[in-house]
Amino acid sequence: MQHSIQPQKIGPLGEPMAHAVQACVHCGFCLAACPTYAELGQEMDTPRGRIILMKQVLEGNLPWENAQPHIDRCLGCLACEPACPSGVPYRDLISPFRTLAQPHFKRSPGEKLRRLLASQTIPYPSRFRIAALAGGVVKKLRPLIPSALRPMVDLVPSSVPRAQKLPRIAAAIGEHRGRVALLTGCAQQVLDPDINVATIEVLTRNGVEVIVPEAQGCCGGLAWHTGDLEAARRFARKNLDAFSSDVDAIVTNAAGCGSAMHEYHLMLRGTEDEKRADVFRKRVLDVSVFLQRLGLREIPRGAGRPQRIAYHDACHLANAQGVRREPRQLLRAIPGVEICELTDAHLCCGSAGTYNIDQPEIAASLGEKKARVVVATGAEVLASGNIGCLTQLRAHLAKLDSPLPVRHTMQVLRDAYR
Amino acid sequence: MSDGVISRLASLLPRERLLTHVEQLAAYESDGLTAFHSRPLAVAIPESADEVISLVRCCRQERLPFVARGSGTSLSGGSLPVAGGIVIALNRLNRILKLDPALRIAVVEPGVVNTQVSMAAAPHGLHFSPDPSSQTICTIGGNVAFNSGGAHCLKYGMTSNHVLGLKAVLASGEVVEWGGTSRETVGPDWCGLFGGNEGLFGIALEITLQLLQRAECFHTVLAGYRTLEQAGEAVSMIVASGLLPGAIEIMDALALEAATAAVHAEYPRGCEAVLIVELEGPRETVEIERARLDDILLASKPVQTRPAQDAEERQAIWKGRKCAFSAVGRLSPDFIVQDGVVPRRRLGEALRRIGQMSKEAGLRCANVFHAGDGNLHPLILFKGSEPGALEKAEALAGRILRMCIEMGGSITGEHGIGVEKRQYLPEMFTADEIDCMKRLRAAFDPLEIANPGKMFPGGEAPVLQQRGLHPLEQAGVLSRE
Amino acid sequence: MSAQLAPNSISELVEAVRSTPRLIPIGGNTKPRLSKVDAARLSIAGLRGITEYEPSEFTFTALAGTPIKEIAEALKQRGQYLPFDPMCVEAGATLGGTVASGLSGPGRFRFGGLRDFILGIRFVDGSGRLLRMGGKVVKNAAGFDLPKFFVGSLGRFGVLAEITFKVFPQRVTSHTLKLTVEGADAAASISMQAAGSRWEPDAIDCLPDGATLCLRLAGPPQALDALSREILSRSKGEVLSEDEAETIWIDLREFRWAAEGPLIKVAITPAIWPAFARVIRTLSGARVHVSAGGNIAFLSLPDHTAFSKFDEELRKLGLCGLTLRGDAPLWSGTRTQTIITSGVKQALDPQNRFPSLED
Repeated sequence: MQHSIQPQKIGPLGEPMAHAVQACVHCGFCLAACPTYAELGQEMDTPRGRIILMKQVLEGNLPWENAQPHIDRCLGCLACEPACPSGVPYRDLISPFRTLAQPHFKRSPGEKLRRLLASQTIPYPSRFRIAALAGGVVKKLRPLIPSALRPMVDLVPSSVPRAQKLPRIAAAIGEHRGRVALLTGCAQQVLDPDINVATIEVLTRNGVEVIVPEAQGCCGGLAWHTGDLEAARRFARKNLDAFSSDVDAIVTNAAGCGSAMHEYHLMLRGTEDEKRADVFRKRVLDVSVFLQRLGLREIPRGAGRPQRIAYHDACHLANAQGVRREPRQLLRAIPGVEICELTDAHLCCGSAGTYNIDQPEIAASLGEKKARVVVATGAEVLASGNIGCLTQLRAHLAKLDSPLPVRHTMQVLRDAYR
Repeated sequence: MSDGVISRLASLLPRERLLTHVEQLAAYESDGLTAFHSRPLAVAIPESADEVISLVRCCRQERLPFVARGSGTSLSGGSLPVAGGIVIALNRLNRILKLDPALRIAVVEPGVVNTQVSMAAAPHGLHFSPDPSSQTICTIGGNVAFNSGGAHCLKYGMTSNHVLGLKAVLASGEVVEWGGTSRETVGPDWCGLFGGNEGLFGIALEITLQLLQRAECFHTVLAGYRTLEQAGEAVSMIVASGLLPGAIEIMDALALEAATAAVHAEYPRGCEAVLIVELEGPRETVEIERARLDDILLASKPVQTRPAQDAEERQAIWKGRKCAFSAVGRLSPDFIVQDGVVPRRRLGEALRRIGQMSKEAGLRCANVFHAGDGNLHPLILFKGSEPGALEKAEALAGRILRMCIEMGGSITGEHGIGVEKRQYLPEMFTADEIDCMKRLRAAFDPLEIANPGKMFPGGEAPVLQQRGLHPLEQAGVLSRE
Repeated sequence: MSAQLAPNSISELVEAVRSTPRLIPIGGNTKPRLSKVDAARLSIAGLRGITEYEPSEFTFTALAGTPIKEIAEALKQRGQYLPFDPMCVEAGATLGGTVASGLSGPGRFRFGGLRDFILGIRFVDGSGRLLRMGGKVVKNAAGFDLPKFFVGSLGRFGVLAEITFKVFPQRVTSHTLKLTVEGADAAASISMQAAGSRWEPDAIDCLPDGATLCLRLAGPPQALDALSREILSRSKGEVLSEDEAETIWIDLREFRWAAEGPLIKVAITPAIWPAFARVIRTLSGARVHVSAGGNIAFLSLPDHTAFSKFDEELRKLGLCGLTLRGDAPLWSGTRTQTIITSGVKQALDPQNRFPSLED
């Protein structure tokens, strides 16, 4: 649509945002895919509506705070992108906009505290571990906790798994077929460290050498998606430095991380690191894609009986990275496995980074719906490729008193090997 | 003045369902016709038929203009707000009230999305036939108001042909119930009159739809042709053969380019046009008919024909076609979608002339059309940032519409007149005929509060473009009081 | 007051309307009850002839007084037809009269009735203006859909002068299957099954004997053979010869089974069909033809004495009937009055030149 945004006045992120607004023809096809439209039923909480609001803010025709509630409510799930016939790169608009909005959006003290806590703990595994352990204790005192912080506490598991020390280099078993560097993720290391263990095992079993660079850190996704450009850039640069180039691919096993790393070129646009960020992001692959392309050398044994596995597409895998086939193909490689598809699979589970902390009602509504859909499949296990989704679904299945186990795709594969 | 009206409206709905803040209104300023926007006074979001009735009656009392809106996908500005009026959003009236597979009917609220009806009917082997390209999001209420079409109109008709009954609140405030669950009625066809009223008569509250059994078997063929003329010829041959395909569609090279980019469809190379033909029926019938179709297509000398081998391939063929309009946004985000009709045998001639006129105007034009019934959708591409480009595009649009009239066709096949084409109404109808329609409108809407400024030319122009006077206003074609 | 006006051209028609304060248009007078009002009778029989016919466009335009018979013949020669089986063809029904009466025959089941094939009209309104509404192409969304409104308008809102219709290509061949049914419940049940089946029947009609259901299929002969075999494996019956089939459909079309008394059209549904049939059985001498898969019932009463009972029973069922011929009130059963009806009447006929729907 036509706009009067002046990119040069905005900075390096101006042009990608203007281009995204330009591409939108207001056809409305995105409304059919947007979970917040399904939940809230009003035009301001649709991708199309948000584009209008962001356009008007960037043009100087609408105050930042007016757009705030609706921009805050965007899940960032990017379900609108595959639905858009015009190819609007919504991701080039929402996250950059949030970074520009940060100094302008008003936050209550409770919100500020929550955001501070999240940004200061989650990206740092050792701090997060302490916070999570504390959270497990504080959980029992829930009524005493300020309401702004309760959603955080609700999501903390009642017990935190033991930390797992990962090798710096995990040798390939048998004939050497490839070499990758693994991003270990941050929240994942604390909430379910076994995911990395399983990932390394599956890779090495298939002849892939796994490097775990020590100097790596959080991918920066949390900072980027909540509008902290400086922090996002810091995390990005750290990883650009930490990962060497003598690997076949940089693999991630957390969808949110993979998608964030694919946006490094956007985070660092206009900086001296822009070029290398662009090169870097093209080398990042979700582990399922890497494995599927390489081909499994060893077929998993399986459970020796038919097994129904429900597969949940993490938004940052399916929408952000276009990865849908590969995890399913890997799971189907296990003998006896039948994949159960979820109805309304395009709807986000509500995890969306820290969305389930910032927008607890909407997140809870989406989470409950997704959990019910999962239970309805009658599957015996739910697999997915993102720690955020796994955490959200565990919490909501527990609320339904469902004993259904929720596992990472790599964990399912690893178990199938044994 | 408006504060009083707002407070009276606010007494009918919980505060959070009467939107008045600037960012809320901004989101409702446009529908699918992006070139226009207009800010309403407020947006009301009812959740029940009773609330809709109260709102309409309040509007009547206050002489407050209102515009009903489903998903806001109209390509003619049908749900464009009226300045000084409100929007009544029907999207939350989205329940399927009843589905009777034995009688093959569904009773739905106006906010039900088109495909949701077919999805609900599918387990019973039934479907709702009208399938406009926006069907994944457009609503039944909108389909009724604009008598939406789709690709299957030659054989199965448009939305109005599938409406068996209606409960509606007229702009006069009267609540009426017409028709029912029978395929037939006695007396005048009131539902038929209401279909296509473009929101000028009132708001449908409950709609009884006819469901058809899904054909047992489909045979969908994609055929590529070197020239558009050849594709048009093929259509004539198919039609002359006595076959009655469920759908016959054509897309030209530009439209193909867009669709390819959007859904990664693979079309035959070296084609200026692609023809999609679909046969359907019991398997024995399709078996025989497809052989005839194959012979005809062969004789039409295509570059390549690709019959769909399975349901997935069939879906892919249709996906490419259905996303074509919006996909054109990839080629040029600023464009005007036209909706003209010409007698089918003159399709080739019409396309040639459109090509010529576009060249003269220095603009590109993509073409997607329902070849079976002569309904053209030229998509005129332009660069909005270029001064004078919109005016040039609108001028070209006008020439194309005049051509359709001259050829004995229509200025709109399925999108309706809305805002965009109202100045052409007098070229299709005489002053007496327009007067007759105005009188009819006055019977339903004596105060002229239902979607005013649409369909009929002249009078209040409700739209404001971002940069001031609309070019058509500058040219003296539209005016404001 | 009952002098017959008989214009021979559209301009004469316009003149006739303008110069007559109260009139009712007459077509072939095959549904006489519809025009039994206190008004001058204006015959449109002189407005006769197909004015445009382009088979490749699937459309034709004809003057309103053209007999259906003439139109059907012209279409047949070019391998096309009107799928909704217009009624009273032998009796001389005209195109305009057919539209005004809203009478569609058995074939309306498959592709729709009059309302689904009418594209455009030229008519003279109550102010004596000649107006064109709709269009001449199969797809048109410009202006209000008055052509549809005129279907079943009974000449109360204007005089049809010229009408444009959509047509379909003639089917390769058709088979009619005669199935034996035990009563209305069975007939309704089988009808609904057939309606939702893969066979895609053109017509599903229950004969006035109440024990015979006729299914008409159309398509290539080999396909029909296969479908017929399948149907007969499930229901008792036989495939009729072409002649037998033609006789049955023509008899139905011409109401040859009907008695001398009132002939009434009722819009029903397959669901209410059994209850409706029970009511009919209580009326001595009444005969009924249930058409279009149980969506239309044509009821014949031996005379007017049973009418008031029928009226009452129809009201209890929530149904509405229109009397096509015979000595009985025009309407029966449930009718709701709306303000908009008089509003639209005002708009199209402000001087009440034509009778109202209640007359």
